[in-house]
Amino acid sequence: MSKIAVKVDDLTVAYNYKPVLWDIDLEIPEGVLMAIVGPNGAGKSTLIKSILGILKPIAGSVSIYGKPYDKQRQKVAYVPQKGSVDWDFPTTALDVVMMGTYGSLGWIKRPGQKEKKAALEALEKVGMLSFKSRQISQLSGGQQQRIFLARALVQNAAIYFMDEPFQGVDASTEIAIINILKALRKAGKTVIVVHHDLQTVPEYFDWVTFLNVKKIATGPVKDIFNDDNLTKTYGINYKVSIQE
Amino acid sequence: MDITEYIKLVFTDYTLRTITLGTAILGAVTGMLGSFAVLRKQSLLGDAISHAALPGIAIAFLITGAKDSNTLLIGALISGLIGTFWIRGIVSKTHLKSDTALGLILSLFFGFGMLLLTFIQKQPNANQAGLDKYLFGQAATLVESDVWTMAIVTGICLLVMLLFWKEFKILLFDADYTKTLGFNTKTIDVLITSFIVLAIVLGLQTVGVVLMSAMLLAPAAAARQWTNSLSVMVFLAALFGAFSGVFGTAISASQNNLSTGPVIVLVAGVFVLISFIFSPSRGLLFRQIRFVKNRRDLELHKTLAFMYNIAETHENVSHPHAIKILNNFQGYTKGTLQKLVEKDYVKLTGNMWSLTAKGFNAASNLYNQQNETDE
Amino acid sequence: MSSAQIEIQLIASIVAVACAIPGTFLVLRKMAMISDAISHSILPGIVIGFFITHNLNSPLLILFAAFTGIITVVLVEYIQKTNLVKEDTAIGLVFPALFSIGVILIAKNANDVHLDVDAVLLGELAFAPFDRLIINGADVGPKSLWIVGSILLITLTLLITFFKELKVSTFDKGLAASLGFSPAIIHYGLMSVSSVTTVGAFDAVGAILVVALMIAPAATAYLLTTDLKKMLVLAVGFGIFSAIMGYWVAHWLDASIAGSITTILGLVFLMVYLFAPSKGIIAVLYREKQQRIEVSLLTFLLHLKNHDELEERHVKHLNEHINWQKVRSKSVLDLAQKNNMIHIENQIVSLTEKGDAFTSKAIDYIITNRDAQIEDMKDDFFLFRG
Repeated sequence: MSKIAVKVDDLTVAYNYKPVLWDIDLEIPEGVLMAIVGPNGAGKSTLIKSILGILKPIAGSVSIYGKPYDKQRQKVAYVPQKGSVDWDFPTTALDVVMMGTYGSLGWIKRPGQKEKKAALEALEKVGMLSFKSRQISQLSGGQQQRIFLARALVQNAAIYFMDEPFQGVDASTEIAIINILKALRKAGKTVIVVHHDLQTVPEYFDWVTFLNVKKIATGPVKDIFNDDNLTKTYGINYKVSIQE
Repeated sequence: MDITEYIKLVFTDYTLRTITLGTAILGAVTGMLGSFAVLRKQSLLGDAISHAALPGIAIAFLITGAKDSNTLLIGALISGLIGTFWIRGIVSKTHLKSDTALGLILSLFFGFGMLLLTFIQKQPNANQAGLDKYLFGQAATLVESDVWTMAIVTGICLLVMLLFWKEFKILLFDADYTKTLGFNTKTIDVLITSFIVLAIVLGLQTVGVVLMSAMLLAPAAAARQWTNSLSVMVFLAALFGAFSGVFGTAISASQNNLSTGPVIVLVAGVFVLISFIFSPSRGLLFRQIRFVKNRRDLELHKTLAFMYNIAETHENVSHPHAIKILNNFQGYTKGTLQKLVEKDYVKLTGNMWSLTAKGFNAASNLYNQQNETDE
Repeated sequence: MSSAQIEIQLIASIVAVACAIPGTFLVLRKMAMISDAISHSILPGIVIGFFITHNLNSPLLILFAAFTGIITVVLVEYIQKTNLVKEDTAIGLVFPALFSIGVILIAKNANDVHLDVDAVLLGELAFAPFDRLIINGADVGPKSLWIVGSILLITLTLLITFFKELKVSTFDKGLAASLGFSPAIIHYGLMSVSSVTTVGAFDAVGAILVVALMIAPAATAYLLTTDLKKMLVLAVGFGIFSAIMGYWVAHWLDASIAGSITTILGLVFLMVYLFAPSKGIIAVLYREKQQRIEVSLLTFLLHLKNHDELEERHVKHLNEHINWQKVRSKSVLDLAQKNNMIHIENQIVSLTEKGDAFTSKAIDYIITNRDAQIEDMKDDFFLFRG
């Protein structure tokens, strides 16, 4: 088996001291395109956010390529939920994508030509180059999602975390995004996606984690994406027809 | 007094020059920092902070017995910061919502401040007169050293803002993401909040606690309408703020019995009103015009599509038809027909109309486009 | 106590009650700052009303000024609807502008209007007993008493008549609409009552104290109960207490009565904020600490249940792997041992039968129905908290 990209040990997270995630152990091998699935309130976003240090866990630890997350930030990129920001903010698409370079710049230093070039390349990858000077509120939901994706691409990370990137986007954006994700995997990157639509899991992903407060199962889609695990996760007798 | 005379006076008269400069600088710095407050959805925090500063002024006076504005300013700053952090404490640790927390701190601190002020007034210390200028502000009491304080603080604000521009911007837009990039968001947050509190405190002597929040919001809200770039917005807000100060001072100086604070606030209000109505991209006027125009375009397109459907049934697309049949169609008016003729889409001969080749092409393009977007 | 003193306290108490009632609903509906906006923006209404009626106590003036309050609300909502600025910016723009107009009107007509801007902010409760209402030559008491008394009566009547509607629309707007109570009517009704109360109280206690009297008692009561009726009663109680205490503090300090009432309100809030039994800061901090230990304990037990490997169950693992500070891991270990949840052999921790059963039960609760069952679990925790 290949290297472990993300390792989560005994992670427990509570909101207002109400438990959300319980004793999660998770190993994500390098180079997989993984979906995290589970019912609403299962702690999917929470898992990503606590791996990324946005939320403070009560217990447990996270390591990225064997080192603590703090030392490996440069290797990680994050695509938050589209609804988490104010899209009426006075800024342009290019500006938002440029924000992806801020992390490598560090404090005070300003982005220059090199950063701009990287941002433009990322915009082109997501098919949004012609929208670069567009005010972000004038973009459609799908276009906004692509901008967020481009911002993460600019970070040129090894591991990508995405929180529901297919939420409220049009069909063509969904295809564009999944193609980019597949290209990332091909390039040896690890992609972890919080996902809602169970139907598309076998088609889009090769790795899956079932989550409902506890970790139910994790592994290759072809081995573990079955009715048994779905029922365990969603609590009801869940049947999904897996396409060949 | 005419305008040229007034301008001359601004440059020659010490008091007027001090006040004009003071209000201009104040307007600039509050406009600048107000942009951040508005974008962070902390508009009313300014109101709460300015009211919360009042007891600090009174206590600083009670302790030092001096009316030196810098001493009182520090008192105001401390009490404003206490108010701000208490609001946060209430919101994060209890189930009271932020508006309740704001209203609570605002009214309770202010009431306590008033208690202290009236208490001071009853003291046999003759030095106390003039503390109530902090209620509505008295620009006339500004002296050169006050203006220097303002200028220095504004300079520091500007410097810090330029240094941490990138950090401020990304925190305002997406705080969680900022954290994942490895920035200490708490530091940036404390920095912004402290400067907002500082700007408010700075303006208390000139505009007063009651109206200070408007100085923070109005220029920023006006500036937001004219631009979609954060840097331009901050610059415009500073400009609007400075002009509000200068114009407000001029108006109140030219009349008797007009306190400067309310006039400045009203001038800033006029900026907001104009921006809300006349801004080209967001303004209500152009929005209405665009709305009417879109409706007209839609009617025109509908009529054209209707004609296209009729014309299509004939081999010769330019076959003339009676105008009468158009009457059955909703949205048809003589005006729309006239417009189509002007665009050379339709030819009129007597009671008959016919599509031109150009019109037919335009209509069929429209049709196809519509089908595409439907998919 | 002179009769003037009794009258002042009576007026202050009635104002406090009249403010606490709409205030409770404003706090529950997350509209507390609207009361701040209204209290400021009625100023031009009062001034213009005075030009028309030439009588500060005329009911017409009160209606006129209250109308300005409604206009404020409408204006704020209109600006919010345009989406040109964020929600609360609209409030922050409207009321300073209107208030400035009021201040300028007063300043420009200082000779005609016997209104003092300081009095606008603070009111002059101390003078209230001198303005008597004389009917047919008979002195029936101070005018303000009659004004605030009538306002309180109207508010009480409305409250009792529409209690059900107010309650439903405050807690569940959708349900209220489906039951046929128009949320808009209730909304503007509440705004009208708030405006009228503000104007009526304005003369006596000033703009800022009105805000304090509306928000503080309600917010204080909200920290003690979530039951609407209890909250109303408590808010009224806090209001009256502060009004009377405040009067005596002002008397003693020889300072503004309004400022002093607000200060007492602030102290009452501070006390409750610190010491309220379940929602006070001290209780919250204590509970958070307890829960942190409980959650840690459960995490620890669950970890033991999930892992059979000896390495994962070594005492040292607690410190290194779960990433807890030493102090906490020790206290968790002690707690678990004290309750016979675990036993330790050769530095290897194992679950006892009791611990195993408890852990299964706990995780079952958490996964199946977290919100409803967590209360049950808490009872269990209290059993072994010891």
